Amino acid sequence: MSAVTSVRHRVADMDERRFLLLATFVPVAGFFAVVWLAPILYALGMSLFDNPTGAASFVGVANYADILTSVGFPKYLWNSVVYAVSSTVLSLLVGLGLALVVNQQVRGGNALRTLMIFPYLLPTLVVIFMWKFILDPNLGVLNQYLVQWGVLESPIAFFSTLQWAMPAVVVASVWKFGSFAFFILLARLQAIDPNLYERARVEGASTWQSFRDITLPHLRGAILIILLVRGIWMFNKFDIIFLSTRGGPLEATTTLPIRVYQLAFSEVNFGGATALAGIMFFLLALVAVVYFRAFEPEKEVAN
Amino acid sequence: MFEFGEGAAGSYVSQATQQRVKRTAVVLTALLVAVFVTIPVYVMIAIAVQSPSSAFAGGSVQLFVDSLSFENFRVLLTETSTPRYFFNSIVVTASSTFLSTVIAVAAGYGLTRFDFTGKTLMARAVLFAYMFSPIVLAIPLYVIFYTLGLLNSYFALTLALTAISAPFTIWLMWQYFQTVPIALEESAWVRGASRTRTIWDVVLPVARPGYISAAIFSFAVSWNDFTMARVVMSQDEMYTITVGASLFLDRVSIGWGETMAASLLIAIPPFCIALFLQNYLLQGFNVGGLE
Repeated sequence: MSAVTSVRHRVADMDERRFLLLATFVPVAGFFAVVWLAPILYALGMSLFDNPTGAASFVGVANYADILTSVGFPKYLWNSVVYAVSSTVLSLLVGLGLALVVNQQVRGGNALRTLMIFPYLLPTLVVIFMWKFILDPNLGVLNQYLVQWGVLESPIAFFSTLQWAMPAVVVASVWKFGSFAFFILLARLQAIDPNLYERARVEGASTWQSFRDITLPHLRGAILIILLVRGIWMFNKFDIIFLSTRGGPLEATTTLPIRVYQLAFSEVNFGGATALAGIMFFLLALVAVVYFRAFEPEKEVAN
Repeated sequence: MFEFGEGAAGSYVSQATQQRVKRTAVVLTALLVAVFVTIPVYVMIAIAVQSPSSAFAGGSVQLFVDSLSFENFRVLLTETSTPRYFFNSIVVTASSTFLSTVIAVAAGYGLTRFDFTGKTLMARAVLFAYMFSPIVLAIPLYVIFYTLGLLNSYFALTLALTAISAPFTIWLMWQYFQTVPIALEESAWVRGASRTRTIWDVVLPVARPGYISAAIFSFAVSWNDFTMARVVMSQDEMYTITVGASLFLDRVSIGWGETMAASLLIAIPPFCIALFLQNYLLQGFNVGGLE
């Protein structure tokens, strides 16, 4: 290659490099600015005004104070925590149990794996329709059999009874989200060197001992991440609760996300809604800091 | 049953017995879960394919299908706006899947191949967005779209849906490109191919499994979505199928039969993915999966 073409080649290469740099970064930067940065800043701004969508007047942190001191706030926060913790822990247990089973290469394990994809992919609405129907007091299959077998004297309207509404929502949630833990844990299990188990068996270790000393340590990281990420997602879950109970009966299932929606669209109080959204934002940021400190997940891509 | 094993070296319970106990526990769990997962799906199908009069004959639910009927589907398709809802869902799902995948492939490639300061910050921003709550994002988006007169438009809902799916698809492609050796591209450059050409002819074909799984995840997010569609679309003719169907049971004319028929129709694309594209989905779970 002559010197001239080589230089021209290099110049063209530089231009192309710059072009590619632009072509790959501009879309993602623009996109993040428009749908993430702008709305978040806008919401944080709105939360400092009274009636921000109408005759706005600056009130500082008064909206935050109103939300934090409102009568229902402790209850909504408590509901969110109860829902997040119970649905996350139960999904983890279901997912872990099944991942251990499928990892045993039991006959039909592959079919079971395919089966577990359905709950994950089925839209939340469909999942709620199924459970509302199964738990329905008049037509519901569960009530029908429970009454028939004499377990119950009269049918229970699970989604609209004070003490049953939350458990019913949790069951539907575990049904849908158990597979998330299952798939992540199964991937980790399959990455464990089978020789480790063989050696443990030869040395006379019991099933329980090899589970405790080989399996659990390998799964520790994945379990913590599931608890953290799934936990924060469940804490912020809106659709599954809204579709099943709308936060009722008598606020028995009103969590913070449901309350944000009510404030914005039922009470048309955008100052309050954005202030509560702001509180949830800061809670999430707090969890994110813990996550970044403890796991350094960015190391997987930026080294 | 776990106590059996304590101090196993000198244990009285033989390893063969332990194996048998373990085996039984494994099979029992498998059966239990299979039943737990299958029953709701079966009930949905059974109600959908019977006419309401035979499904609810005699005041109790008939779960054993003895006569197939498409009555529910007929009512759904001719007496409700279901076809329109499906059309809306398909439009926004297709555009959002496309947008999310394109952004993810471009960003994933750029973030992997170009060095710049602030990569860590970028990674954290992506992960933070990945954990974010759709409803918290939906409130300001609603006000912004309202101010711009964009409520009830495909454009607004596409942006909103892409906002939820893109953080994960970017993360997925970013990880995926880490596994594509740069030597492949270098050998194409040495043979005189331009960088752009190399991307089309070398990088994209190699990245195919990665972007197919990114597309599946963004499809699942948009098709499943209720929150964003509920907030952005307020006119009946712009409802997606999830929002439209969620209001069915409030109407007197629509019962469980039609509702389950609608559910079955909504469930068809996810069923197809589970059956034919599951390997791409599992690959996505190796880097975290999406809510």
